[in-house]
Amino acid sequence: MSISLPDTATSDDAGSQVLLVRSLHAGYDKLVVLNGVDLEVSRGEWLALLGPNASGKTTLLHCIAGMLVPSAGSISICGHALRRQALAAKRALGFGCAPESLPDLLTGRQCLEIYAAAKGLAAIGGDVLALAEEFAFSGMLDGFVGSYSLGTKQKLAVLLALLGEPVLVVLDEAFNGLDPASALVLKRHLRSRVSAQRCGVLLATHALDVVERYSDRAALLLNGRIAREWSSEELAALRAVPGEGLEVALAAACAGS
Amino acid sequence: MPRWMAAHPHLSSRLLAWTNAYRYRRGRTVLAAALIVVAVGVVAVLPPTGPILGWLGENWAVTFVLAVSSFTLSTARRRQHASIAAATSWLASLPARHSVWMQVAIGIVRRLAVVVALAALVWAIGAIDRSDFSRFSFATAAGAAVGLLGGWRLQRAGIGAPGYHYAIVRRPRARWASAPSLSPLTNWPAAQGRVFSRPKKTAPMLLLPMLAMPMGSPGQVALAVAAASMALFSVFSLSVAAVRVAFDAARWLAPTTVGRLRFTGALTWRVMLTQILVLVVLLLLTTTVYRRRALTVGAPLAVGYLCVSLAAAIVAALIACRRVGLGASGRGA
Repeated sequence: MSISLPDTATSDDAGSQVLLVRSLHAGYDKLVVLNGVDLEVSRGEWLALLGPNASGKTTLLHCIAGMLVPSAGSISICGHALRRQALAAKRALGFGCAPESLPDLLTGRQCLEIYAAAKGLAAIGGDVLALAEEFAFSGMLDGFVGSYSLGTKQKLAVLLALLGEPVLVVLDEAFNGLDPASALVLKRHLRSRVSAQRCGVLLATHALDVVERYSDRAALLLNGRIAREWSSEELAALRAVPGEGLEVALAAACAGS
Repeated sequence: MPRWMAAHPHLSSRLLAWTNAYRYRRGRTVLAAALIVVAVGVVAVLPPTGPILGWLGENWAVTFVLAVSSFTLSTARRRQHASIAAATSWLASLPARHSVWMQVAIGIVRRLAVVVALAALVWAIGAIDRSDFSRFSFATAAGAAVGLLGGWRLQRAGIGAPGYHYAIVRRPRARWASAPSLSPLTNWPAAQGRVFSRPKKTAPMLLLPMLAMPMGSPGQVALAVAAASMALFSVFSLSVAAVRVAFDAARWLAPTTVGRLRFTGALTWRVMLTQILVLVVLLLLTTTVYRRRALTVGAPLAVGYLCVSLAAAIVAALIACRRVGLGASGRGA
């Protein structure tokens, strides 16, 4: 089985910015988690967000999804400030919610219908239905979410995120629980969307193979800041290193900070 | 999907969940609804309910003040919960306004409807007259409206409901146990029992014994009845907790080689000890007033309850073990 390598986007051909995060500070009560994060994602770009456990990756994604109000800083999605133009910003956003937060008493189809209706869609998009088919999820659409396995819930969360042609797709550990075949389907689907300039992807992950083979850029979140970034050229160079190129580079960056 | 549902995904999601619960878990849903109807019916036909509602109808100003206080606190609490739920829900990232106000208002209207329905039932069985029912209903509705507005502002001022989660916080031990044992497991059902009998759950339960007391009972008797009811409720909560925790703990420990006897013992001994202590103290206090009845009626009842509680905990633990295959090999017992 061959794996298609990314059509890496350089800074020259990168499209318009779909996400701009500036000096973001956020936390919970007295605990400061994010301490001045700066981040950009462009259309046609896949940015992988790396970082050790409890480094604030999910907190950052929750801020971008409007689920957590930052204490300072700004977030804009497709030029719409999340704080002042929340609805316009969220219209451009596809966020993969945590699988465990999906409602047990609804069916997968009902979840998709609610999301589609809330996004103002007349029908569920053909490519999302095709992805559901490739996931072997179509047969489970009428089962209760409460009866789904972790992987099946993850598939539903991803399908919800991709509904309505979002310009910015934000996913948190989206490959957790997915079987290898479904994970490959998802990687290729996301890559094709990115390559077709349909969206930008921000993926928080620990899966370094995804970063090496599919991402255009990678950023390391450490101590509440972006401590290190890898450009597409650097990632390509690490790919060329036999063995554990990115793994070693990541460990070195963590140790250095 | 109708347009209003599409515009309010939180409401449509809840509506669909209720519809699904009715469609696919009909027996359980109908049973729950029937239990609520029976509970409201029982409260309505209790002898003191009519006179109390009648008095509240005559003294509508008192009713209004009580309603304002109650609905103000309820609104503040509901607003905080709804805000947290809105921010963390699976629908949080959608481009739709989540109306916390509407959600809170629906909850308040639902509660008001239950109170008015209860009063209507009491009026229907002839325990109060029409004018008392009307005055009571209007005073409560007006109080609910004022309470809704007041509670909304109260939350904004930061005097809202207490914390979102109820949890018992313990100081961590300085050192690890040198010989690990199952004894910490005994804390689980005890802690779960305390969660079940927390003030928020105990307060509505107190309503029944208080309503069942004859009008004009002395204050010290009312206090004694309230205290005894709370103690008995905590004992009952411990029994329920032991049964529930048995299944959770067995599932958690299923991959280990803990024996069934050891598991059952660890799960039940602290619960039983606490129940015995509470019931003994209660009996001792009762003997100071009603010695004969405490010994002839109270003591056998307490012993009987303890036997039933122990049997329930053991049976639950054994069923839980069997279900997940815990201790099937007999090793580690």
